[in-house]
Amino acid sequence: MHIPDGLVSNSVNAVTCVVSVGTCAVALVRANRDLGERQVPLLGVTAAFVFAAQMLNFPVAGGTSGHFLGALLAAILLGPLNACLVMAVVLLIQCLGFTDGGITALGSNLFNMGIVGGIVSYGVLRALLLVLPSSRGSFLAATAIASWLSTLLAAACCAIELGMSGTSPLRVALPAMAGAYSLIGIGEAIITTAVVSTVLTVRPDLVGAWRPAPEAELQGA
Amino acid sequence: MNHAFLDAHATLDSPLHRLDARLKTVFALCFVVVVVSTPAQAYCAFAGYTVLLLSALVLSRLPVGFVLKRLALVLPFVGAAAIFIPFLPSETVGGGYSLGWGGLAVSRSGMLVFWNILVKALLGAFSVLLLTSTTPFPQLLLGMARLRVPRVLIMITSFAYRYIFVLVDEAQRMARARDSRCYSHRWLWQAPVIGQMIAMLFLRSYERAERVYLAMLARGFDGSLPAEKPGTLAARDCVCACGVSVVVVALRLCAL
Repeated sequence: MHIPDGLVSNSVNAVTCVVSVGTCAVALVRANRDLGERQVPLLGVTAAFVFAAQMLNFPVAGGTSGHFLGALLAAILLGPLNACLVMAVVLLIQCLGFTDGGITALGSNLFNMGIVGGIVSYGVLRALLLVLPSSRGSFLAATAIASWLSTLLAAACCAIELGMSGTSPLRVALPAMAGAYSLIGIGEAIITTAVVSTVLTVRPDLVGAWRPAPEAELQGA
Repeated sequence: MNHAFLDAHATLDSPLHRLDARLKTVFALCFVVVVVSTPAQAYCAFAGYTVLLLSALVLSRLPVGFVLKRLALVLPFVGAAAIFIPFLPSETVGGGYSLGWGGLAVSRSGMLVFWNILVKALLGAFSVLLLTSTTPFPQLLLGMARLRVPRVLIMITSFAYRYIFVLVDEAQRMARARDSRCYSHRWLWQAPVIGQMIAMLFLRSYERAERVYLAMLARGFDGSLPAEKPGTLAARDCVCACGVSVVVVALRLCAL
């Protein structure tokens, strides 16, 4: 899903770039204000973690594999704005170090994977948590749904950008991308849920999005 | 593992390697923007860009095989986009090829779209590759910092750069341990194993980050990293870059 140079038109790139840079600026101001220097090594190491985790392919069927996106996981663990910063760093290193994703398409890639895949999906997660009863099971269920959606929405945005640029016709590209990534999204959902469930068991204090009901905490204590 | 996989040949010595990182970064970015904005029919302009990049490649003394291998990584995405070409509306049918199934046809405009994305993706990747293979990553970040990219972003990136090697190593050790326990890696329902591995990787990296931060505090970390010796921006290099820029702009303007 890393768009190279030239696939997305300049006007689409310009718009997504402005949105991405603006979001990153807000995230940087917030990171500076709220957490200061302590946050810097943490965000850096988390970016390296997302990078390493993306290298562990998961099987889809019969030997084909997809790789983990990690934007929603980062949002659950660090908060949505920090996750956007982490994804920006990951995409920058992938673009510069691996020629994976074009330098002019960096704005579009961050928009798809950081903003839509991270921040918007985190909004979906929060909305689901408002509706669902407050328990560990429903938290994990909401995580699964939101992470599946994050992959799907990121792919749909990618298809829409390509369609708007005239690179591929939307009525074919959108269903094709959505179909493929709804399958890959199942893998993303399984993995994100497994990660969140394990971290909740071992270090619940690290899951920023997890706010147990007061009585559940009392029972646990 | 190979600890220099991000900037494998950045420590070679050549006129291009000795250039200041700021100059190279700004030039590469502007060059890619110009390339991407060139209309697809401007074949001469693309030939000119390619000649410029190839002469830069000769000047940089990078191994050609390495460059080709890296450029090939762009092709899968371009190929995936090419699947949709036969479905494009065929306003310009002249010179198209009918595939004979269900009215699908490869029209001339479809071919043009494919050529457009192929050449731009390749030239863009080529420019970025030349930039990063002639500049060590820390120098690149230092150059970006001196170009007023926000300090926090630079610091996060330099931390990430340092720890990628450690964590990728860790991930590979975990994958080796998993494989030696007969994990078959074939079907989607086996994915939770990967999830547990990623969870452990996260916990280990988080705890490592906590230890690193404490160790840094103990060594007097005050929120800024000691800067490396910055490169110098020679007037001669600027004049050279201006000369090449004039050529690029001329190529771009010819295309109008």
